[in-house]
Formats: sequence, structure tokens, C-alpha cells
Amino acid sequence: MSSTLLTSKHVTYIQSLDIKRDRLDYHLTSHLRLSGIYWGLTSLHLLNHPTALPRSETIAFVKSCYHPSSGGLGASPGHDPHLLYTLSGIQILATIDALDEIDGGKVVEYVSKLQNPDGSFSGDEWGEVDSRFVYCALSTLSLLGRLGDAPGVSVEGAVGFVLRCLNADGGFGMAPAAESHAGQIFTCVGTLKIAGVFEKSLSEDQVNLLGDWLCERQLPNGGLNGRPEKLEDVCYSWWVLSSMAMIGRLHWIDREKLVEFILSCQDEENGGIADRKGDVADVFHTVFGLAGLSLLGYEGLSEVDPVYCMPREVTNRIVWNRRKTPTS
Amino acid sequence: MNQPPPDSYASDPTWADLLPLPQDDGQHPLAQIAYTEEYTEAMSYLRAIMAKNEHSPRVLQVTAHIIEMNPAHYTIWLYRAKTLLALSAAGEVQLGCELEFLNDLALRHQKNYQIWNHRQTVVEAIAAAAPAEQEQLVREEKGFMNSMFERDEKNYHVWSYRQWLVRRFKAWDGELSFVAALLERDVRNNSAWNHRFFVVFGGMDAQRGPEEGEREEEGEVVEREVRFIEDAVFIAPQNASSWNYLRGVLKKAHRPLSSVESMCLVYAPLDEPDKITSSHALDLLADIYTEKTEEHGKAVKALELLAAKFDPIRANYWNYRVGLIKAAA
Repeated sequence: MSSTLLTSKHVTYIQSLDIKRDRLDYHLTSHLRLSGIYWGLTSLHLLNHPTALPRSETIAFVKSCYHPSSGGLGASPGHDPHLLYTLSGIQILATIDALDEIDGGKVVEYVSKLQNPDGSFSGDEWGEVDSRFVYCALSTLSLLGRLGDAPGVSVEGAVGFVLRCLNADGGFGMAPAAESHAGQIFTCVGTLKIAGVFEKSLSEDQVNLLGDWLCERQLPNGGLNGRPEKLEDVCYSWWVLSSMAMIGRLHWIDREKLVEFILSCQDEENGGIADRKGDVADVFHTVFGLAGLSLLGYEGLSEVDPVYCMPREVTNRIVWNRRKTPTS
Repeated sequence: MNQPPPDSYASDPTWADLLPLPQDDGQHPLAQIAYTEEYTEAMSYLRAIMAKNEHSPRVLQVTAHIIEMNPAHYTIWLYRAKTLLALSAAGEVQLGCELEFLNDLALRHQKNYQIWNHRQTVVEAIAAAAPAEQEQLVREEKGFMNSMFERDEKNYHVWSYRQWLVRRFKAWDGELSFVAALLERDVRNNSAWNHRFFVVFGGMDAQRGPEEGEREEEGEVVEREVRFIEDAVFIAPQNASSWNYLRGVLKKAHRPLSSVESMCLVYAPLDEPDKITSSHALDLLADIYTEKTEEHGKAVKALELLAAKFDPIRANYWNYRVGLIKAAA
């Protein structure tokens, strides 16, 4: 079991993902391809290998997922536009400083049409509602520098919906009254942070209760779960930790044990990180393991922004430095 | 309703009018995809049919075939739903059959959420077409969810769907006994505790006007819930879910935490640390004693026991709370 980060193996692993195109599982994941590229790209930036994916091909792929008629992006060419992949596409372009490659105004138009009267956002034209999509919408708009002036978008309404997802146990769920879940907490707290209203939305007691719920996710083996009485999983190193960082309670975690847990989930032969020790690695768990380590200040990794899950350097450039008063 | 897929679309006369459309990824090496033959062929015929915007029974055939191979492909679901609604409006399909198709898929693909989103669309359409049969529909939906819960009692998609169904059709009856039965089976099922909160308070607040009668007094409900929690804690003292639920109930009822001090002391007798059986009881006691300055010593003692012995992985958190108390002194 490795006790250090296998940087070069992870870089090779991510670069190799694109080569396995002759395999069925590559195809069967086409419905999340654009997010896969975002996960890989972000991993490489955190590993300080920002140019390990070819830039022009990355841009070309993002553009091939773009639907000029609606302004949204799908997961792969020929897939319908969806907020999840619209955000991934914008995150990729923002990270490689190529936002001018697509029509941002049109993307804003797509996002704004998905807001519902109750403030929530649907993921696509079909109307599936989830607090995740509120985050996708606001994150996309803010990365495009259009949060304050997106026609027809009510940021206040979005915030109101997210606050209705707050539960008595201190956490947030997918919809009002839905069970608290670490992934949903990340998106709800992230929404409040992006909107710049976190501090005035939750009282000190509410923040402490949320922090209590979050740090209760750490299990004796050091790993974190996403809900009470569930198994640990590396991806919660991100959903839980980023939320704790956003609310200023990161120090409630046992850092050493969590670092040890994440490192133990690395594939020592081929690189990549798995959900837990001994399982098969994938790019999703790789980025969230690395981002978690970055939040924990692990040596040799670039700093990640807990609100956007992107390199801090990038979000400083396009979001925070443009705001008069930093909110994170 | 779903015709079985042909051995080959190319050699099947019902598909002969279509020119299959291969995947067009442009010339970007990042995205060239080599599919297996079966998948490739089905997809290329679906693309051809989508290009014509055709909503016919054979769309159901090819989408079922693709979904069988890849149920997470959301675009396929979207096109299938549009087709179903069009065919149903024209009286060409019975939407009830779609639910059978979905049942089988959901049981085999527990983690898939597209199935549940699609199900919501179908159930809405069925209910709209036959309002008189809604009760029966809801009963059958609840019955199917039981089969899902038998496999995974914490499936987030199924729980979300259940809450939607209950709200949408005001189907609160029977929910409390349903959730009690689940908790009897596994008292640590946090999803079930969450649903209990939804049923007890959501149902009471939002759905039942006093004119519908039988509305219990809120005080009685709270008493009943506290008794329920006492039983659950007796079975599993070290169960975060029941203690979290207790806090939620007290808060909702505007009752002080101190009203459950004696119950906490059963599981966390501060003077006899060897007999402590619940870190959650200790945690709650610490909160109760933090509220009164003269009892701060006991609060610190509870927190120190947590940090040192009963929940050391969260020592930083417990020490932070000790710090808050000392700072207030």
C-alpha cells in the first residue's frame, strides 16, 4: 500500500483514458464523456501537469458537444444538451482559458430557460429537478461572468429553493424534505457561496450543526461516507471536505487518517484512484481523491477551489478577482 | 409493446426504409468511438429515425434495445418518452405496459436514475388520462417500491420518487406504518428516518387541513415520536439516525433539549464513564449542559470523554466545542 502520491502514474493513467476507444466501456460512458474530460483535466491541473491533454483537441471536442440552436452542451456529440454537461464544458474552457471559443450569451440563454417558478432549475427541457442543477446553473453563469445580469434568472429564487432543501439534521437534500446527502450539501452550500449569500443565509448554530453532520461522516478507517450508516468512498473526500472548507470547519476532520485512506485507494500499478481500496480506479474518483488531498494541503498538489472544484488559480482569475468583495 | 430487437436492422424489412446514420464525432481524436457492432447498428438506426422526428412503435423497439445495453443514455430516454406520449395520445399504446418495462429495468439497474425520472413522466401521463384510477395506480407504485427496497432500503432515487408520489397524489395514508415496518427491520436506516420526518411533519403541515378531521394534536404527535425514538435508542444506542431525528423533532416542536436529559443519562451516565453506551447521548448532554453556565463543567466533561475515548476521530471538533465554552466563561 502506497503512502505517497503516485503523481506520474496518475498523469499516465488520465492520458491513457482516451486511447481505450476500442473498448465497449469507453462507448458506454459516452453519456458522461464531457464530464469525464473535465475530471481528467482538473486532475492534471492539480497534479501540476496542466498541458498533458492536447489543448486544441480538447476545445474541438467541447465545441462538438455544443448545440448552437439551444446554447446548451450535451455529454458527447449527438447527445441532448443538459445542465450537467453545460457546466462541464464551461469548466473545461475556463480552465484552459478558452471561454471565447463558444457563444457565452447563448449559453446564458440556455441556462436561464431552465429555471422554474419555484426558483429551482431543471436539468434539461424534460424537467427533472434536483438541487444539483441549481448549482450547475449558478456555477455556469458565474464562470461566464454573467451571474448578476442573466436575463430572466432569479438568483434570489435559486437561493430560496436551496434553503428549502435544508433539513432538521443540518444537511441538505436533493429537494425539499429529501434525505441529507453529502453530494447535495456540496451543491447547496456551493450555490449559497456563488450567490454570495452564505453568511447571511445560515446562522452560526446552523453552520455548526451542518459541520457536525459533515464531520460525523468520517469513519474509524479515516474514510468518509455520504450519509449515515453507509460505506466510505473516496468521492466523499471531495463532497464532504469541500463543504467543510466552504463553511470554515475543515479542521474538524482527522487529516492524517483521511490522507492515509485516500492514498490507500490508489492503483499502484496503473495509476488512478478507486472508490475504496482494492476496487478498480476511474477518473471520477481520481479527481475527487486528488481534490480532497489538495484541500488537505497535501504537498505537491495545486490548490483547488472548494466552491468550483477547479484550480484556485483559474477561479481567482475569472471569478474572485473580478468581485469587489471576495466571498470565499 | 416493445418488439424484440431484430437480429440485424439492416436485414429486417420493417427498417429497410431507413438509411442508418453513423456516429459523427467530427475529426477529433479525443472522441472517436469504436462501438461494438450490435450497439453501433442500433444507434445508427435510432439516429436515422430521430433525424426524421418519427414517433412510431418501432422507436419503442430500438430504444428498448439500446436502453437494455446502456440504460444511462439520457438522450434515448428523452426520445422514448416523447414517442410514448405521442403514441398514447393517438391511442396506439397502453402506458401501463411501460411501467412493467421499467420495473424490470429498475430491479436490474439499482443505481440508475434516468429510469425514475422517466417513470415520473409516465405516471403523470397515466394519472392525467385516468383520474378515477389514481388510487389504484398509487397502490401499485408503492407495491413496486417495496420490491426495490427489499434489495436496497437506502436507494436515494426510489426515496425521492416516493416523496414525489406521496406529495403529488396526497398519498399520506399508510406511510407511517410503512416506514415503521422498515425501521423495525433496520433501525439504522437513515433514509427511513428521513421519510418519517417527512411523513409526520410534512404530511401534518402541508396536506391535511383540519376539515379533513382526525388531525392529531401536535403535542400528541410529538409525544408519540419521542416514545418511538426511546424504543429505537434502546435497541441501538449508538445509532446517529435516531438521535438526529430526536433533535429534529424537539426543534420542530420548540421543546428544549433539556426535556430529554434523563433519557441521555441512561446511555451516558457522566459519573460512570464505563457504562456509557452512546457517543450521541454524550454529544446531546454536552449541548444541554452548554446552555446553562452553572453546568458548563459537566458539558466540558462530556466533550472531553468524546475526544479522548468515545469518538476520538472527531477530537478536533469536540475540542473546538470545549474551546467555545471556555471562551464564554
